[in-house]
Amino acid sequence: MISPAVDRPWRGRPELLALAAIVFCIAVYAVPMASLGAWAFRDRAGGWTLASFVRLLGDDAYHYAFLTTFRTAGITTLACLLLGYPLAYAMATAGPRLRALLATAVMIPFWTSILARSLAWVILLGRRGVVNQWLLSAGLIDQPLSLLFNSLGVQIGMIHVLLPFMVLPIWAVLARLDPGLPLAARSLGASPARAFLHVVLPLSLPGVAAGATLVFMLAVGFYITPALLGGPDDLTIALLIEMVVRDLLDWSFGSALSLTLLALVGAIFGLGAACAGTGRIVSTEGRA
Amino acid sequence: MTRDGTRVAAGWRRALLWTHCALVAAFLLAPIGVIVIVSFNDTTLFSFPPTAWSWRWYEALWRSRTWREAAGFSFWLAVAVTAASLVLGVPAAYALARTSLPGRRAIEFFLVSPIVVPVIVLAIGLYVLFAPLRLIGTPAALFLGHTLLALPVVIVIAGAAFRRLNPSLELAARSCGASFPRAFWHVILPAVRPAVISGGAFAFLTSFDEVVLVLFLGGPRTSTLPKRIWEAVKFELDPSLTAVSTLLIALTVAALAVAELSRRARRPAATGELKP
Repeated sequence: MISPAVDRPWRGRPELLALAAIVFCIAVYAVPMASLGAWAFRDRAGGWTLASFVRLLGDDAYHYAFLTTFRTAGITTLACLLLGYPLAYAMATAGPRLRALLATAVMIPFWTSILARSLAWVILLGRRGVVNQWLLSAGLIDQPLSLLFNSLGVQIGMIHVLLPFMVLPIWAVLARLDPGLPLAARSLGASPARAFLHVVLPLSLPGVAAGATLVFMLAVGFYITPALLGGPDDLTIALLIEMVVRDLLDWSFGSALSLTLLALVGAIFGLGAACAGTGRIVSTEGRA
Repeated sequence: MTRDGTRVAAGWRRALLWTHCALVAAFLLAPIGVIVIVSFNDTTLFSFPPTAWSWRWYEALWRSRTWREAAGFSFWLAVAVTAASLVLGVPAAYALARTSLPGRRAIEFFLVSPIVVPVIVLAIGLYVLFAPLRLIGTPAALFLGHTLLALPVVIVIAGAAFRRLNPSLELAARSCGASFPRAFWHVILPAVRPAVISGGAFAFLTSFDEVVLVLFLGGPRTSTLPKRIWEAVKFELDPSLTAVSTLLIALTVAALAVAELSRRARRPAATGELKP
């Protein structure tokens, strides 16, 4: 390799260019996460304790919040998969013009402010909202339906926010699939359904795993949508954390809850990364 | 099944697939369309479709000092965050794409992982860090927090571009006598300019839209646009909200267009991109 020796340190050590970012992330990311850990295991006197975690395990109210969070995340993931897979499949098999149209329909909501979208759902789903007005004037219902400030509202809002995170990784895998493969299956006598079930679907599973991991992981930690569209019964872990630190000012217990949420998200990510590969998950979340 | 029967079945399948896609696309776009239309409503009710049209909510927005100040603060904060995350992120992405050190994957994961952590957990952690330093309620707290969220976005987007870049481009510049900084500035960076632009656009949006950190780390002196919107949605439902949201949607579409156009302007031959 020919390279001038004058500034050899640069050439030999490109790692140095990452130094500033690493120092920044240690100070603003690793240190706070570590201090969360310290807070969670500290008592008022400064000794070490597991009291926060004992409290977490012993109280039904907290179990209920975890259950609500996982139920919501599970339903959201399933709904996104059922709505998103056919969309991703259509995008992968459509002509360039239709594909561009569908991709726009996915990308604009993907990047639109979650607050703006939550406001839209408030306008659409409220007691005197657009949906109720239309259903009433069409004579389909006598009483306005309660679609907002309950788990249905949270569910609709979360599916809307997270659907693109399911579509994009599945589309990425399906678009790279060799179109000759299902054709080969067809020419060997497989029906279209069989060719899909035995060839296309199994090959797209890494994308499905990446999308499902992303959606589930983001849903478990979600704060904005449940806070704006949920009712008093929809207390998720994220809302519980906010309540504990803001209303009860209990930073030690809040840290323990945060650490538990972090561990859960880490476990989901680890499982997903093992199935789908880290890159697939991170590149969609990074919105590359 | 006969040949005709197969063709009819295939037609039904396609019709079913496209109906599904049309409905899902409508579900994705309807809320955005509704908000844009309602923002031109003349009444204080969020009636849809509007019975009379006007610009009054945009005028109300323009006259309101709190909305203007919030938008201005958010804008400058996002500009600072974009600059910082590009300065930190682009060189780091380059280093990660070129290094052969064994810890590369671990470091890359460490730098990108903040986007996987629930923002509420980051908010609690940063509060615990910033409170003793008396940073809560200062613009500096939001600047640091938002940069932490935007940095991974830049690293992921720029990293993908650096990995596609042909290393011989840089070698050619170096063997012609360019110093490393010179080669980086004049050869490598121009070759990945589309990724830098779209990384910057998305870093800007990340900060401009952020609401959870500002709720925890902000104070009266740091009222960003999303914080104002949050308070208005939660407590008053002011019709001006639809006008703000429409402007945010317009900004999003503009940022996406910038990213897309810079991507299309890329000429693979001129940028030394590796053939797949």
